[in-house]
Amino acid sequence: MKKLVSLVLVLLLIAAIPAFAEGGDVNGDGKIVVGYIAKNLTDPFHAPINSTAQEVIDGLVADGTITEWTGILDGNTDGPRQCDLAQDCINQGCDYVIILPCEAVASAPGVKAMADAGIKVVVVNSKTENTDDLALCYCGSDDVFAGELMAKYVSEKCPDGGKYLHLQGVIGNSAQIQRGEGILNVIGADDKWECVADVPCDWAADKATNAAQDYLAQFGEELVAIIADNDDMSSAAQRYCNGQGRADMVCIGVDGNQGPLQMVKNGELGATVLQDGVGQIMAGINAIVADIKGEEVQKLYDVPFVLVTAENVDQYLQ
Amino acid sequence: MASNNKKIMGMDQDKFSMFLSKYGITLVLLVMIIIVAIIQPRFIAPANLLNILTQISVNCLLAFGMCLAITTGGIELTVGAQLALVSCILGALASKGGMNIVLACVIAVGVATLFGFINGFLISKFNMFPFVVTLSTQLITRSLAQIISNGQAIPMSIGNFPQVYSGYLGPIPLPIIYMLVVFVVMYILMHQTRFGRYVYAVGGNVNAAIASGVNVFWVRTACYTISGFLAGLAGIIITAKTTSGQSNIGIGYETDAVAACVLGGTSFAGGISTAPGVVIGAIMIGCIYTGMNFLRIGSYYQQLAKGLIIIGAIMLDMAVSKKNR
Repeated sequence: MKKLVSLVLVLLLIAAIPAFAEGGDVNGDGKIVVGYIAKNLTDPFHAPINSTAQEVIDGLVADGTITEWTGILDGNTDGPRQCDLAQDCINQGCDYVIILPCEAVASAPGVKAMADAGIKVVVVNSKTENTDDLALCYCGSDDVFAGELMAKYVSEKCPDGGKYLHLQGVIGNSAQIQRGEGILNVIGADDKWECVADVPCDWAADKATNAAQDYLAQFGEELVAIIADNDDMSSAAQRYCNGQGRADMVCIGVDGNQGPLQMVKNGELGATVLQDGVGQIMAGINAIVADIKGEEVQKLYDVPFVLVTAENVDQYLQ
Repeated sequence: MASNNKKIMGMDQDKFSMFLSKYGITLVLLVMIIIVAIIQPRFIAPANLLNILTQISVNCLLAFGMCLAITTGGIELTVGAQLALVSCILGALASKGGMNIVLACVIAVGVATLFGFINGFLISKFNMFPFVVTLSTQLITRSLAQIISNGQAIPMSIGNFPQVYSGYLGPIPLPIIYMLVVFVVMYILMHQTRFGRYVYAVGGNVNAAIASGVNVFWVRTACYTISGFLAGLAGIIITAKTTSGQSNIGIGYETDAVAACVLGGTSFAGGISTAPGVVIGAIMIGCIYTGMNFLRIGSYYQQLAKGLIIIGAIMLDMAVSKKNR
């Protein structure tokens, strides 16, 4: 009889342990909750990342891998806002949070607060300064390398060098800083090249067109290349130059959005540098699933930038 | 005034209108909190409520300055850019330059206050439109922040400086304490002093104020100067929050400050506002953001809801103002 009672007690105890306790339920509340802090909801590059996350994480809820998720929380391209959302994730009992930081420094306190609260943080797309120390893993690409890739392409296309224009993203943004750094690494010290201006265009195509218009009017044939921190800007600049009979202008940017890719396909734009955002977010989600299953998670998932030209554009054009 | 005998919820219609104009927005806030709490009980956990109050501290400080500007019949669009300027000055002086952090804070707040004074001076002295003046100084301020920081983020993890935001007084986060102190000072200033009465007089009927001997120039200038000072304090808080001096923070923050004022009953017609209303408005903005996240409402819908709530509040404000005039 005592054995039977003991057996029943043990079985009851096992039954009482939440189903998720073996992995994933980091805070021990019987649920696996995933948070998602987006960089923003407006940037064309981030739209497919967010929609992929929505679809895939909804699927994880449906198949029971996780209990629930916060939905997409809009960071509004604002570091302090992301820090607020990090607090919201803590208060909502999240076990894992995916964050796409706006800023290397200003978003870092949010990552620290979550890590201090015991949340496993997956940083995607760009790093905060404390990512290496505090995050479960980082899934992204090297923006300095992207800048170098653009400058090398321009150097190859214009072996004699010349004057070039640099169209910048929002000043102070990590990607803007690092891509600019990459460009200078390759052609900054090269006497053949002269930067006529670094123009802040806030990632926006209309401002890029205005800048192309201004500097083409000022420098004419001397201006041989326009390097942009994203390809919304480079494609807009190229479109303007083509319309002015300057299809020879070498314009290049980063992201690999569908519009610029279509221009590469049509022969209207020479090249763009593809950042595989969907690949980055998938790596982040897969890392969480692996951790829930108790599998090993790497600290770094490097998703490389790819130079897309007419030769390989079909692989990436949807 | 003859009392209307029609009863609503046991109150005379006139009294009911007065009650709504005084406490309507507070009631809406309470109903909102109760609904969210029923669906997501974690929402009213003390930690989350403290979190909301901590998060709104910056907006609340900006909103107090904005409230003064709107009450005098103007607007203050520089406040978001002033956050960036203060953070970059702190970064340049304390982090790069090695200056004592307290002295750097005093200088940064002083610069923000100076910009507030310039706004007020231009608006009052030359009778320029507040929208145009503050929009222009917003551009100048943001540009100065970029020049000072060279567009780079300046790390600000100096000693205990991050504790300005993340520290506690007992169980209460420090930003809530700052907000409380500013609220008390602003309440006294707006509702208990001669200056406060002048502010309402200038906003309500500037000609009557002039005829009564009120120095409109100094009242308006002082309002924008106080706004600059408060934006400076908010800049210190946000710099401690992000531990970073950078030129691209605070973009669009003036919108939330305006929203907090309007929700709190500040009238764009001028002459009508209350200090408690500003706090309620700021809390409401915070609850909208956090509450919607707790309710798992998609971010795409959050701006929509915020916009609709603000329009609703303005319509309520217009209806009440019409009745009271």
